[in-house]
Amino acid sequence: MADADNRPGEEEEEEEEIDETAYKTMKDAVLFAIDVSPTMLQRPKAEDKKADRDSPTSAALKCAYQLMQQRIISNPNDMMGILLFGTEKTDLKDGDSTFQHCYLLADLDVPSAQDVKRLRDMVENEEEAEQILKPAKDGASLATVLFCANQIFTTKAPNFSSRRLFLVTDNDYPVKVKADKDTAITRARDLYDLGCTIDLFPISQPDHSFDRSRFYDDLVYPSSPSDAIASTTKIAKSGEGISLLRQLLSSINSKAAPRRALFTLPLELGPDLRIGVKGYILIKRQEHAKSCYVWVGGEKPQIVSSSTSHMADDTARVVEKTELRKAYKFGGDAITFTPEEIIKIRQAFGDPVIRIIGFKPMSCLPIWANTNKATFIYPSETDFIGSTRVFSALQQKLLKSKKMGLVWFIPRRNASPTLGALVPAEEMTNEDGEQTMPPGLWLIPLPFADDLRQFPEQADKPLKTTDELTDKMRVIIEQLQLPKGVYDPAKYPNPTLQWFYRILQAMALEEELPEVPDDKTIPRFKQIDKRCGEYIQDYGKEFEAAYAQVAKSSFPHRGRATGKRASVEPDDEKPKSKRVKKEPKVKEEIGEGVSDEQMAQFNDKGQISKQTVAVLKQYLAARGKSATGLKAELVERVQKHLEGIGL
Amino acid sequence: MTTKEATVYIVDLGRSMGEKRHGREQTDLDWALEYVWDKITNTVASGRKTALMSVIGCRTDDTDLGGVMEEAEGYENLYVYSELKQYLLCDIRMLQDLFKPSETNEGDLLSAVALAVQMIDSKTKNGKGMPLKYERRIIIVTDGRGHIETEDLEQIAAKIKDTDAPIEVVLLGIDFDDPDNGFKEEDKDAQKAKNEDALKSFVEECDGAFGTLAEAIDQLQIPRLKETRPVLSYRGQLTLGDPAKYDSTLTIDVERYPCTMLAKPPTASSFAMRTDLRNISVAGPSTQSSNTIVGEDHPMTDLSAVRNQRVYQVDNQDEPGTKKNVEMGELERGYEYGRTAVHISESDMNVVKLETEQSLSIIGFVKAEECERYLPLSRSNFIIPQKANQPAQLGLSSFIHALYEAECYAVARLVAKNDKPPVVVLLVPRIEVDWEALVDVELPFEEDMRRYKFPPLDRKLTVSGEVIKEHKDLPTEDLTDAMSAYVDAMDLSKFDTDEDGQPAEYAKLEDTYAPLVHRINHIIRWRATHPDPTLPIPPPPSILTKYANPPAELLESSSKPFEKLKLAAKVTKVPPKAKGRGKRNRTERDKPLSGLDIDALLGNPSRVQIDPANLVPSFKQALTASDDLDAIQDACNDMGREIKSLIKLSVGDSGYGRALEALRVMREEMVELEEPEIWNVFIRGLKSEVLEGRLGGNRREMWWKIRGSKYGLVDAKRSLVSEVSEEEALEFLKS
Repeated sequence: MADADNRPGEEEEEEEEIDETAYKTMKDAVLFAIDVSPTMLQRPKAEDKKADRDSPTSAALKCAYQLMQQRIISNPNDMMGILLFGTEKTDLKDGDSTFQHCYLLADLDVPSAQDVKRLRDMVENEEEAEQILKPAKDGASLATVLFCANQIFTTKAPNFSSRRLFLVTDNDYPVKVKADKDTAITRARDLYDLGCTIDLFPISQPDHSFDRSRFYDDLVYPSSPSDAIASTTKIAKSGEGISLLRQLLSSINSKAAPRRALFTLPLELGPDLRIGVKGYILIKRQEHAKSCYVWVGGEKPQIVSSSTSHMADDTARVVEKTELRKAYKFGGDAITFTPEEIIKIRQAFGDPVIRIIGFKPMSCLPIWANTNKATFIYPSETDFIGSTRVFSALQQKLLKSKKMGLVWFIPRRNASPTLGALVPAEEMTNEDGEQTMPPGLWLIPLPFADDLRQFPEQADKPLKTTDELTDKMRVIIEQLQLPKGVYDPAKYPNPTLQWFYRILQAMALEEELPEVPDDKTIPRFKQIDKRCGEYIQDYGKEFEAAYAQVAKSSFPHRGRATGKRASVEPDDEKPKSKRVKKEPKVKEEIGEGVSDEQMAQFNDKGQISKQTVAVLKQYLAARGKSATGLKAELVERVQKHLEGIGL
Repeated sequence: MTTKEATVYIVDLGRSMGEKRHGREQTDLDWALEYVWDKITNTVASGRKTALMSVIGCRTDDTDLGGVMEEAEGYENLYVYSELKQYLLCDIRMLQDLFKPSETNEGDLLSAVALAVQMIDSKTKNGKGMPLKYERRIIIVTDGRGHIETEDLEQIAAKIKDTDAPIEVVLLGIDFDDPDNGFKEEDKDAQKAKNEDALKSFVEECDGAFGTLAEAIDQLQIPRLKETRPVLSYRGQLTLGDPAKYDSTLTIDVERYPCTMLAKPPTASSFAMRTDLRNISVAGPSTQSSNTIVGEDHPMTDLSAVRNQRVYQVDNQDEPGTKKNVEMGELERGYEYGRTAVHISESDMNVVKLETEQSLSIIGFVKAEECERYLPLSRSNFIIPQKANQPAQLGLSSFIHALYEAECYAVARLVAKNDKPPVVVLLVPRIEVDWEALVDVELPFEEDMRRYKFPPLDRKLTVSGEVIKEHKDLPTEDLTDAMSAYVDAMDLSKFDTDEDGQPAEYAKLEDTYAPLVHRINHIIRWRATHPDPTLPIPPPPSILTKYANPPAELLESSSKPFEKLKLAAKVTKVPPKAKGRGKRNRTERDKPLSGLDIDALLGNPSRVQIDPANLVPSFKQALTASDDLDAIQDACNDMGREIKSLIKLSVGDSGYGRALEALRVMREEMVELEEPEIWNVFIRGLKSEVLEGRLGGNRREMWWKIRGSKYGLVDAKRSLVSEVSEEEALEFLKS
């Protein structure tokens, strides 16, 4: 694929963060197989008012549509396809009719704008959908469907490390005679041998609940021997309180990305006691695609892929990678090491490991001691038998005693060692009993002394709050708690990302551009006003009083409070909206907010020469004074001005 | 910008410095140089043009005052090696040759100090003779065994203490008496004793630092932290409510600075070794250029900078499966939407950007104890009131304290600058002895969460939904108790001791040093003074590996609970594959959820035909059907034929992917079955057929892909029974 993130001419940087790129190259292909049968096309009865309007098939299509859009954002290199089965029409886009009653709605590929459009038309335009969604009299044979999927995976995604068939159906016994079942079982095993997994999304009808054991338990394989439960998905129910669509979406979302481990490492609890763990990235900032080059010389714009070769600057000779030497700049020169030496330098800290150094109470881990995202750690029996029980004992003990482990962590060879906190996490579930946060340990990288920045020096001794004022503020805080007092990321889609892809999608489909972004991160001002307006005004009054008090005691020699250039200005009863509009202007006039009073304070404390030249110049310019000359002259001029206005 | 520096090092090079004393393995001079080199290379590494330095040799064989003053009596045997300037690698190289013990003990250390004062004085004033803002420093390393003239000491001291241009004097004595650390040199030379006293009173007179070399070298172990000036990342208001629309709102003027920021090790750049180039340049009429090379002793001359050349390609629509090069001029910017290229002209690039206004506005508040510690995904920042803004100070202080008392954090939307993407941050109060602030960390958005599911750890669920409480994956009560005892025994929160002898936290953040950062810095500086390429790379200083293991003392005191834990855990390492022919049993085959034996269902066929339309599965099934070597060979022959035909019939590269996948499976299975030879024979044959163009023309690209995927020979490292060596396997892929 095109490495679009490398700009031409950019110097190659050292490979420190290889982890995530390696992570991405594990590509995933998902093929939806959606059953089209009379029962799947039946809409729920009209008497359920709140719930379903969708037939199971159309709910499945909506899910596929949503997943496709989502994957374009989150996994831009991964493939997706949609296969309908049981349709009257047979069409696999290649003229072949071996696979009767299979209809390939979207071929397995990285989705194109056209695929998205086509799918949306299906979802939004019922007439169009009806053309295709006509069930065949006898339905399709499941063995055929599985072999069809086999062929699609083999040809379209031959060497993808993850290939998954999402099977959506309400038929828990899709064969008539046992021989057909045996064929289906063999075809399912073929898929398994091919390295594809079948993820079944079963649907129960009001009059028939889906029973896996009748048929599908012989076709679906556990994803790992110890993990039978994760291989089965909850059965969605049609025609019930929560809509089928929502249930399906939630099931499919949990499978949206294949579970990929970032690393497999030993977790060392002490000398000679190691267990196996895998690390997963469960939280990672999703960025939108970087811009790439598009070739506009042809009929249609085409994505350009680029490859890099290294060239010696002096001779323009092409240089092989093995000829490259690393050199550090030092004292106007280069200090070189051989590749073997570089390895010795970087790998001087031992093999990759997570080693527990000891334990501390959780209170030793303040939130500010954060440098990067955390990695989720879960046990694995592959290398050490008994890992899971020891891990479980550790996790439960840490939870119980509110402790964390301090660990020495080298994620892979060549990586920089870090110290990390091993923090326990409890399993969390939502009201439907679905897992929202898995149980395990989190590895939080800690800052070293080198990573801690000094607290910025403050010019004077800052004012401190009073108890009364704090109390008033506390009321506001208690009034404005988020639901359940927690931050739920699910409620805050990234506005930048959403907007970016909305626009891109509209441009790709040559549609009208949307005008208003939907930004869920904008605070609900109306609610804040309603719930807290009164308390904010209380705070404002108290603030005036407190300010008069503390400012006075802080500067006894100055008769008046340091001006009404209040910026903490709880806007009280008087309509202050005018003031707000005025404010920017005031700011411009006196530039960067250094007022006469503030400057006078600096002067009194002998700090005036500590101000930067820029500040002084701006201050003078804002007052129509000459702002040229040496710093000493500027200071002098400022002091003169201050004298002139009696400060 | 840091302040300007002017530092003069006075290094005692007298004959007495060549001695090895007190059982040390190095001479006094080599010992002293450890300190001097560390200081000098540190300054050179900073690359600062404003860090000036010079070195004066004292008690040298020759005399050269470098034009600082006229040669005069009392100033013999001093050598000024350079003016005050920025030192570079070539200066270090020069000094290395000069730092040798001399043949003399003549030369007055205090004259050298006078010289240094003179140098600094003349370099650090402006045209009018006014002293400039400089950090002035004289660092002296001596064994105190020379002759010192103590007559005009006061005059020098007065100059050093000059309030307009004070000079900091640091004197490090070799084996000087140090009552503070309880060191006293036995049988001290009377001359040295006298000198020690004289130097001590002189340095004290100058308000300088007087110490021993031993102490100074000890302190070198502690890595130096780079000081960084705080960089403002937001300056604006913290608001509650929308002041433009509502009356009751709150605004506080704040600024935001980094609280944590990862220190990065220096990065290396790529260079190409100059190979044939030298011959070319020598051949030409290049007396001049070779002059410069010799003159500067430039190690860069055998390296050449590397430029990256890019080739742009698109899929060729006329010939599917091939690519064609395109010109830079026909390229425009765009984005990928799935596999569709969306072309956006330069002027339209802004439409995909979300317009935002700089702000920090509170969304709501959360309870501190409900806040999951693993959620924050960024480094942290301080939020403090704007400078000298008293209302802001009071307002923010009340906010910080109210959060603290209510045990709450604030969640806010931050737009650091206009049109920057909004992020959601968590605002946490931090109250220290001398200061208070809000600290912010970024929180994840919906898209940032990957919802993988994992089975519970405290119970087991069966397929039928039953809950099991006893299982090999669940800890027994014994294990739970042993773990609890061990975790408590290994507590670090009181393992250290502070200055007052009170128990203190072990491995506090401020005691831990970034290993790789200091390792690389250290090794660069080491190489600067040890250019001999045959020297082995030294191991990292011990302070960098201090926290790589649990403290030995603690391990020892926790050994009992640890042994118990080991016993209760019963962890066993999975043994590497048992030797011998790996026969796979049908009973070992993976089974579907129901546990159905599919082979039995099919009547346990003893031979399975390779089906080109179902290549990989039928190959795998053929291998499991029989343990017979002939059958395996047959299956591989058939598989190999299919692979070749995939390559042969491929239109462009259309069949390569499938061929590669089949190769991968075949190779893996042969390793598994411990039959690497079958594979090795096949892949050797395939390589020659591909490279000789016998599979439907030029299939070189297919070979590149095989090479790239590393599907070469199976060597002894990968399969014990293989006769192919690692080198041979590497060579096979290379050629």
